[in-house]
Amino acid sequence: MRNFDVVLILLAVALVAYGGLLLYSASLSAYPTITMDHPLTKQMIFALLGVGGMIVVAWVDYRVYGQMAIGLYALAVVMLAAVLFVGESAYGSTRWFSFAGQQIQASEVAKLLVIIALARYLADRQRQMADPRVFVISLAMAALPAALVLIEPDMGTAAVFGAIWLGMVAMAGAPPRFLVIALGIALATIPFMAMLTLGDYQIDRFRLWIDPASDPLGGGFNIRQAEIGIGSGGVFGQGLTEGTQTQLDFLQTSTTDYIFSVLGEELGLIGALVLFALFTALLFRGIRAATLSQDQFGSLIATGVVIMILFQVFINVAVNIRLVPVTGIPLPFISQGGSSLVMMFLSLGLLEGILIRHKRLEF
Amino acid sequence: MSYFEGRRRWRSRKAKNERTPSERGTSMAAAMRGLVILMFGILIIQLINLQVIKGDQYREQAAINALREIPIPANRGLVYDRNGTLLVQNTARFSATIIPGDLPEGDEATAYRMISSAIGLPASEIEARVAEGIEIQGEFNPTVIKGDLDREVALTLIELEPHVPGLSVQVEPSRNYLTGDLLSHILGYIGPISAEEYERLADEGYLYQDFLGKSGVELTYEDVLRGKAGKKLVEVDAAGRELRVISERRPIDGTNLVLTIDLDLQAAVREILAEYSTDSDNAAAAVIDVKTGELLSMVSLPTYDGNFFSGPISEDALAELIESPGKPLVNHAISDRYAPGSTFKTIVGSAALQEGIASTSTTIVSRGYINVENEFDPNVVYVYRDWAPLGVLDFYDGIAMSSNVYFYYLAGGFADEGFRGLGADKVAEYARAFGLGSVTGIDIAGESDGLVPDPDWKQETIGDTWTIGDTYNFGIGQGYLATTPIQMLRAITAIANGGTLVTPHVVAEYMDSLGNTLEALATVTSTVPVDAANLQIVGQGMRQSVTSGVARNASVSAVTVAGKTGTAEFGAARDDGTYETHGWFVGYAPAEDPEIAVVVFLQRGSGGSDASPAAARILDYYFSGGGPTYSPGDTIPVPDPSPVDVLDATAAPGANEAPATNAPEPTATPAEEPASSPEPEPTAPPTAPPTEAPVSPPTDVPTEPPQETSPPAAALPDERRPNRGLP
Repeated sequence: MRNFDVVLILLAVALVAYGGLLLYSASLSAYPTITMDHPLTKQMIFALLGVGGMIVVAWVDYRVYGQMAIGLYALAVVMLAAVLFVGESAYGSTRWFSFAGQQIQASEVAKLLVIIALARYLADRQRQMADPRVFVISLAMAALPAALVLIEPDMGTAAVFGAIWLGMVAMAGAPPRFLVIALGIALATIPFMAMLTLGDYQIDRFRLWIDPASDPLGGGFNIRQAEIGIGSGGVFGQGLTEGTQTQLDFLQTSTTDYIFSVLGEELGLIGALVLFALFTALLFRGIRAATLSQDQFGSLIATGVVIMILFQVFINVAVNIRLVPVTGIPLPFISQGGSSLVMMFLSLGLLEGILIRHKRLEF
Repeated sequence: MSYFEGRRRWRSRKAKNERTPSERGTSMAAAMRGLVILMFGILIIQLINLQVIKGDQYREQAAINALREIPIPANRGLVYDRNGTLLVQNTARFSATIIPGDLPEGDEATAYRMISSAIGLPASEIEARVAEGIEIQGEFNPTVIKGDLDREVALTLIELEPHVPGLSVQVEPSRNYLTGDLLSHILGYIGPISAEEYERLADEGYLYQDFLGKSGVELTYEDVLRGKAGKKLVEVDAAGRELRVISERRPIDGTNLVLTIDLDLQAAVREILAEYSTDSDNAAAAVIDVKTGELLSMVSLPTYDGNFFSGPISEDALAELIESPGKPLVNHAISDRYAPGSTFKTIVGSAALQEGIASTSTTIVSRGYINVENEFDPNVVYVYRDWAPLGVLDFYDGIAMSSNVYFYYLAGGFADEGFRGLGADKVAEYARAFGLGSVTGIDIAGESDGLVPDPDWKQETIGDTWTIGDTYNFGIGQGYLATTPIQMLRAITAIANGGTLVTPHVVAEYMDSLGNTLEALATVTSTVPVDAANLQIVGQGMRQSVTSGVARNASVSAVTVAGKTGTAEFGAARDDGTYETHGWFVGYAPAEDPEIAVVVFLQRGSGGSDASPAAARILDYYFSGGGPTYSPGDTIPVPDPSPVDVLDATAAPGANEAPATNAPEPTATPAEEPASSPEPEPTAPPTAPPTEAPVSPPTDVPTEPPQETSPPAAALPDERRPNRGLP
């Protein structure tokens, strides 16, 4: 086990701890004292669960997951389809299963399963990457779950599926022209796709992104309050638990989608740079796993995980600082939410499994 | 376990699987690292934009978000009468306000519609008010869109508040005038600050939603009554709830006022005045302390209820108040001016004594008229009439009997007999010295200057030459002369107290909430340029007027009264050639050691038979210290004089017979009344004072102003002739 990447785990733990601070501050007005019900307590319990799960996932040879790939993919699609019928709704979107008293976000689980399935498919065909059929089938594999989450609706996660697929086919060696064509078609069809698939809900969000003042106390409220909060943080921040936007509840969903605004307001630009540094280091360790993998399958899994984390961080922060329209995506390791946190640790478990087995084979 | 180590190991596997895209993997890894750095770079650039470049701006917005400055209104000062009776209470009223900046942008119409249906004001009007508010004080100060909400409407709106961002119901202090309409002209009322007032007063800390005094003491003593509003800086959460007070400045309550008014006397005066003014559009009376200038009572009828302005104001009711013929909102005691008639003879008499024109022994014979020949045509003779052929008169008789001829002599002289008069300039000089023609300085806003004419004034204003006839008219308080009741009261006070011209006032002192006097207001005085001895002579004439002259109806058993009546013609001639008259009485008591002075003015009435008994009732109430001695039917029945054309100018002797003075027809003659009871009051020609009453045109303005370019008097309509005098 000496090939186990301790740095990767330490970075993840540091992120969870960092998130814990923010969670504590953001919950202060609702939970003045720390109890068993406190979001921080729950988050730490999920973190422990995640670490445990990570060890289990790492212990199992990742190639076993490859053999189960078809089943895992089917499971992902069934979950995403089922959640539309039996799932629970919040914020205008149906994303959650209730399971053993806990809410499980189907798309969080599905992302990881789809990464494994795509990795298996592309690894098996690494000599046929120039074949357009492989390219198109892999696209279809990502497009199906993406379409299902789009129906929830959850544009952000759909985009993450797209990013994962693009990163993985590029890594697998798809000809650059395919990638260019795919991107071109995607960009060209965005307006039509938007008209076909976007509900009023998304159009509203788009309008509010352009002009939050059009509804200062409604949907535009949080966009504006997040911007004010982050902006008022300045370079050094107002100080933990000192941000008025957070503490006086101007900021909504400040423990989940908008937790970055808490950081921006209370810890400032410096706090954000620390967060980005932690993520960059974590992602570099993931990229390292991709390069060290003994086989294409592991390398592709590592690539998928890295792209997944990178895009989630980017989209989440970009929403907070009004670079992209509002879409509900948790900030990995930071946002309150069991599904996301546990799945993040399980992803790291996959990376660790890849690293461990690489080293073991070597000696 | 370095990166390079890894790469070497990967290469070592190359032989086993030559198709493994190791080189490609390395470059892909580099690409991915680049992607990570690129994406975080984008985020960092936007963060620097928000946090560093625009940081200050957002910090300000965060502060505006979380902090609210809330004014804490001060309690307005209370007002008491001189005996400590509370006259005004503070209450609350509700108003709907909007903070324009908090309205949903682009969807204001919905908000206006919701508010509109709740308060019953058209949405367009709400929009207009909001626009006005933004223009005057910006987007983030509350603009009142409707004040005086009924309690139920206020409660409905409060429920609406959470659904309409920007809407808030404000509770404002209001005034409850406990004496209803009894003191309205003195106390005045408060109202919302107007745009012009706000512009003028914003520097003094007034807010756009403030109320301030609009008339009366509420206006004059606004600075004192107002106090100083406090404010608190509070932190609010997103729902607008106050979380904690960051800093607070307590308001300083307004100072209480103690009036000089005696509430009981005020009620009595008002009741008496109402009784005698049933024929009048309006009437006024006041009682003053002759030594201090403190007004013990001041009544103007008709009146209004100050609480009218404290509740929801109906437009119709307001229009009625403004347009009703009696002008209830006008304080006729100070704001409207009238010809003082014979009451002015007290001043002409004082002047004549002081200037040596007359002495107590100056004897003049009134044959009922004097004739004055036209300067250019001796055949044209003007006749100036007395109200009766009063015979031989000394100075006391002249005042007591109110002889017009006597005062024609004193004012204008009589060339035929070589009698030199004061002349118009001297009469004007003394009139001004007694405070006529300028405000008395009473501490209630809206006072009229009145008018003291002189030759220069006539030349400038009318564009015509002053004539001897003008001087004659002037001498008996007619013509262009116009005074307010309070001016006449003040002038008579100077005669009563030996020459001190006091400033009448209604506020005695400032008082704190514990009843301690903070400041007793000093009485401002000046003196009239007449020796006390001469004033005393005039006073004796006034005393004689009450004992045996034309003011006998003013006599009271409880006290010795000195007084002077006035019956001044106004308006156009009636069908029978007579005029409507104002009834005046000015006087004081006790005659030997004056304590108070009184003025009674009736817009329609006679000085002798209406104003005098009213004054008697007031004096009796004051000195008997109780209920009225006289019941309404008890007045000494001096007949009402039919106004006569005293100054009947005739184009040629005999060509026009002056109408005979109508004999008085007593309706009942009490036994003690001498059979030779003189006619109550002479009358004089109608007056035409230029109109410049402050609030509304006075009701006694003739329909036509004096004509400066008229043909000879004979050709003029009757009502104009008197003003012509000698060409």
